[in-house]
Amino acid sequence: MFKRSTIGAFTISAAACLSPGLTMPVMAAESTDPIKLTLHDWSGQLINTKIMGSILQEAGYNVEYVQADYIAQFAGLKSGDLHLAMEIWETTGREALDEATATGKVVNVGETGLMAIEEWWYPSYMKDRCPGLPNWEALKDCAEEFATAETDPNGRYVGGPVTWGGFDEERVEALGLDFEVVHAGTDAALFAELESAYQREAPVMLWVYVPHWAPAKYEGEFVEFPPFSAECYSDPSVGVNPDMAYDCGKPRGPIWKAAWSGLQEKWPGAYDIIEAYKIDNAEMSAMVGEADLEGTDIDAVVATWMGANKDRWSAWIAK
Amino acid sequence: MIQRFDRRTVIVLALVIVTIVLGYHGRDLSKALDMRWIVKYPSAWVLPFKSVISEAMRWLIEDAAIGPVSFTDVTRAIAWAIEQPYNLILALLATGFVSGLGNEAQVILPAVSWIVVIAAVLALGHYCRDWGLALLAGACFLYLAVFGQWDSAMVTLASVLIAVPIGAGGGLLVGVWAYRHPTGEKILSPILDLMQTIPIFAYLVPILFMFGFGPISALVATIIYATPPMVRITTMALKAVDPEIVDFGRMAGTTERQLMWRVLIPSARQSLMVGVNQVIMLTLNMVIIASMIGAGGLGFDVLAALRRLDIGAGFEAGLAIVVLAIAVDRLSQAFAERMGRMPERTTGSFVARHKRTVLVGALLLMTWTVGQVIPLLQDYPATRTLTTGAFWDDTIKYLNVNYFDQFEAVKVFFLNWFMIPIKKVLLGMPWPWAIAMLVLLGWSAGGWRLALLCGGLAGLILVSGLWAKAMVTVYLCGASVVLATVIGVPLGVWAALNRRAGVAINLFIDTLQTLPSFVYLIPVVMLFRVGDFTALIAIVLYALAPAVRYAAHGVRNVSGELVEAGLVSGCTPLQLLRHIRLPLALPEILLGLNQTIMLALSMLVITALVGTRDLGQEVYIALTKADIGRGVVAGLAIAFIAILADRLIKAGAQQARIRFGLEN
Amino acid sequence: MSAKIKLACRNVWKLYGANAETLLKANPSPSADEIRNANTVGAVRAANIEIEEGEIFVIMGLSGSGKSTLVRCLSRLIEPTSGEVLFDGVDLLKADGKALIDIRRHKMGMVFQHFALLPHLTVLQNVMFPLTIQAAPEAEAEARAREVVELVGLKGREGNYPRQLSGGQQQRVGIARSLVTEPDLWFLDEPFSALDPLIRREMQDEFLRLQGRLHKTIVFITHDFEEAVRLADRIAIMKDGEVIQVATPEKLVMNPATDYVAEFTKHIPRSKVLSLAGLMTPGAVGEGAPLLHSAKVADVAERIIASDAPLSVQDDAGQIIGAVDRMAVAKVLFGEGSTP
Repeated sequence: MFKRSTIGAFTISAAACLSPGLTMPVMAAESTDPIKLTLHDWSGQLINTKIMGSILQEAGYNVEYVQADYIAQFAGLKSGDLHLAMEIWETTGREALDEATATGKVVNVGETGLMAIEEWWYPSYMKDRCPGLPNWEALKDCAEEFATAETDPNGRYVGGPVTWGGFDEERVEALGLDFEVVHAGTDAALFAELESAYQREAPVMLWVYVPHWAPAKYEGEFVEFPPFSAECYSDPSVGVNPDMAYDCGKPRGPIWKAAWSGLQEKWPGAYDIIEAYKIDNAEMSAMVGEADLEGTDIDAVVATWMGANKDRWSAWIAK
Repeated sequence: MIQRFDRRTVIVLALVIVTIVLGYHGRDLSKALDMRWIVKYPSAWVLPFKSVISEAMRWLIEDAAIGPVSFTDVTRAIAWAIEQPYNLILALLATGFVSGLGNEAQVILPAVSWIVVIAAVLALGHYCRDWGLALLAGACFLYLAVFGQWDSAMVTLASVLIAVPIGAGGGLLVGVWAYRHPTGEKILSPILDLMQTIPIFAYLVPILFMFGFGPISALVATIIYATPPMVRITTMALKAVDPEIVDFGRMAGTTERQLMWRVLIPSARQSLMVGVNQVIMLTLNMVIIASMIGAGGLGFDVLAALRRLDIGAGFEAGLAIVVLAIAVDRLSQAFAERMGRMPERTTGSFVARHKRTVLVGALLLMTWTVGQVIPLLQDYPATRTLTTGAFWDDTIKYLNVNYFDQFEAVKVFFLNWFMIPIKKVLLGMPWPWAIAMLVLLGWSAGGWRLALLCGGLAGLILVSGLWAKAMVTVYLCGASVVLATVIGVPLGVWAALNRRAGVAINLFIDTLQTLPSFVYLIPVVMLFRVGDFTALIAIVLYALAPAVRYAAHGVRNVSGELVEAGLVSGCTPLQLLRHIRLPLALPEILLGLNQTIMLALSMLVITALVGTRDLGQEVYIALTKADIGRGVVAGLAIAFIAILADRLIKAGAQQARIRFGLEN
Repeated sequence: MSAKIKLACRNVWKLYGANAETLLKANPSPSADEIRNANTVGAVRAANIEIEEGEIFVIMGLSGSGKSTLVRCLSRLIEPTSGEVLFDGVDLLKADGKALIDIRRHKMGMVFQHFALLPHLTVLQNVMFPLTIQAAPEAEAEARAREVVELVGLKGREGNYPRQLSGGQQQRVGIARSLVTEPDLWFLDEPFSALDPLIRREMQDEFLRLQGRLHKTIVFITHDFEEAVRLADRIAIMKDGEVIQVATPEKLVMNPATDYVAEFTKHIPRSKVLSLAGLMTPGAVGEGAPLLHSAKVADVAERIIASDAPLSVQDDAGQIIGAVDRMAVAKVLFGEGSTP
């Protein structure tokens, strides 16, 4: 799908041909070394990163994309092998980000504007079997609807990989839900469960996060738990269950940009552009859907956005 | 004698029963005795290996230096040295030669056209052997173009072309060194064991620090993983050279170097090629993991496709890896064979002597010039690519919608009657008893040395606080290995006895081994959901190959005379199998079991991706948290289990061989 | 003995085992029991041999007798535990690595039981190999190799690979290769044992023909007593690592030193071993054209029996030295131990 663009760490200039007439002058006295942006293996991140890369190129910087693992990339950001990571999720990457910024070698460049939502999610056909949804209290009566042979009579909830945290076991206990938490090892496995169940219209309850293509592909909604608060997690007395913590939904949080701490000094102009860059959930979901569901090439999706939002990104460069 | 044998059997049987009962009721027992520590090792007793290792690695990466040259300077220099040829090949095959960076980039020369690569492959195949090979290799590469995998495949090919020569050449040199220095070999052996058995995820983070981010780290990791068999095979092959040949070399007055490079290595070349083949296969096995840290290529396509749940695309990219493996493997074998023969002297002009080279060169020039005008000559047109993606998607969907209940029934049966009981026994077993049994087993199989090793390694796992996860590992691998053996050995026997079945079975297991497990992991999740059973299936599929191969090899190698002796004694085919072929093939089958266990353990990290709770998961968690110490400790625990299994089975196999008089 | 001693070994011992050296240092000639008690294995014990220039010296013994070890001590492929190996009067065991390589390159050649051909080289390349590693000029080396290939009768097979040849042909390559450097000393380690009986016979004839032209000093190892008798100028018989008798075939047959040797000689037709010199009446004069004193009885028996009177026997110089009559020949042909 995105063949030419995934060619590892080697210099590529895919987006350079987007709008040649608009190329702005290289910022004076800044390094011409390429700024290295990390690519992961989900489309949203690829789109996000390539839009950023394209804008930097428009501003006259050299850009290089490097394939990297989501967490392992911090090693590269610390050492200066990598310069910019566009999607560090509050929900999954905060720990690693804090650890990295604490060393002083990585800086948090602020929010991307995307808000991560993570919560229990079910396909719409389950609403018939468990009326009262999306209110969480409905689950108290129809947990059995979500049962499988192994968990019967408890419902089965497929959580994310243990590394995502999430406190679902605690939540189940605190809210008195008859569910058993099963952890998928990766999000690919997680959505494979959804796909499988969806094909058969079989019961399923799982951890879904946005921005992601799943809510666009499958019809369904998030369970509405009591809203998250920091106290709810830390203080047992807060919330529906006076004796236990975690008696509320999951936190929602921004997606951060993280950079090598030397970036600001080496490419000060670029740093300002990166800081200014903002995009929102709706745009992103649309683009992810376009790429993953329609099969449009990522570069084409990026090019379309760049064409349609020239005023926005020109303003970021001009700042 | 008979009485002693009987007593021994009784003791063994009694111990097994006690062990099972203890395991099954271990938890209740520990509660009743109020001695929970006998089942659950208290965390207060855990030794802080993790932080020690983390600290040591931090020191190595940040502070270690000899004078002004720091350790990372050295590793970065190595990375630079690997990077140069890699960039050259990558530019040639995939990216083209570019001058300047970013916006100023100018393509000086595009990458070599698909037509030229296919022509070169044809020419190489023909040069190395004949048209048959040329067509096979050419067809493989054409497949890559037609199915739209070309660009990624060339990136993968570039890393294979770098990793394989370094792995095979380095392995050869180290193997030669070990052959010359028997003490060196003794030191090397456990290191090789660790290189092969510690999952790569466990040392990925330090490698990234040492060699920088990107494809070079991926290459280094690949080389670490793929080299050990080459070292082992080299040493073995050199030792196996007919002593007369060595005597001849000496009598001809060779120097040590001449003896090695002109007598021993050419004489051992067939075995050495087995090593090269292994390096190629392992390199391609690593494609997926390597792509996670920046290698790109087909591995990345597989990962990205599965993230989108595009099973068909994942499958196609996976098949492309298989196809590439076949082509590279066959070509390299033929090439080595051809190189073994000295060049025949040919006469005529340069052109007449190098017809193929000239032809490919001319094609290259043509595509580089005319290709500017006619893009077809440069890039395979995207509109002409085929895809079978939808077919795979539909197949899985069809199975899922129509047969899910049947799958479910099978799964529940296996869980209730096979997996859960094993799990319960292993997890409930008091660890003092388990270690005692292990020591006893080691002692009876290989004397006090093995007993000591068993006790030592098991003890290390215990005090590192990973006992429970190690037991889950043993359970998952054990169950998979039992299943793989139950399926694999009959398949192997069948393959040995029936030629046609043999060919088909071989093709099947070759594919299973090179097809990245990730490709079938996700469909298996769809059909069987997340859980241990899914992991079991994935492990069995991957670990089946050696069980089949060794069984086939063992049965085929039973001496013809013995089979004839059986025939003239009036054995039915079944009796022949039961009383002659299988018993005599047993040592080989045991070695196959050994390899099956190794492969099963190496799959753990992958199965962690479907949510198992074993050491593989521990390694994976450590990776995602960039916790070097935690990853290394868990990786070592896996390696220890592998080494224990290996030593115990080898000792058992040796006893079997002695019993049959094949060795004394 | 007028001939020059080419190769000699003096009190050569080869013991295997951790204590081998200490044992020999403490006790230069341990008994079989002492060797066993020290946990060592005596592969060669107190071997003393002298090989004359130009002779075919056969070392004969059954498997495990130490003959292969001994020949490897003589060529220093195996380091003897103690003793001296004198090659042209110089102790081979004192030669350093370089000198040894030099001696092997120019003065020694060896043929092996299983041919030891390099599988990746053609016949010509195999034969050229000893020259190639000396970095001899290519054209010269090739010409020389072609010469020896022709000498062993393989002309036309130069481009074949060993696997394309029969066993006999492969051993011809082995022989050609060992001769290509024109060595003085030629070791043959059971060269014909791996061949079929018919081919073996043919190769033995071929070997004698070659030696008739080349006059090398030869150390030939075999386990086949008949082969030894047929080829040898002198034979050394080995048992349990010891050389128990060294003698000409004739003397071995007539005077076996031990019962063990006698056991071998018993099955050898004497007529094929004994020469006229052994049964003639010295000083007597017979009739007719004189027979050569070295002629084997079997070859001339018919003439002697056909003649009523004794026949004259002459030496190499043509001097009549005795006579032989039909009674003496009949005793050899039909007497005790004449046939197997």
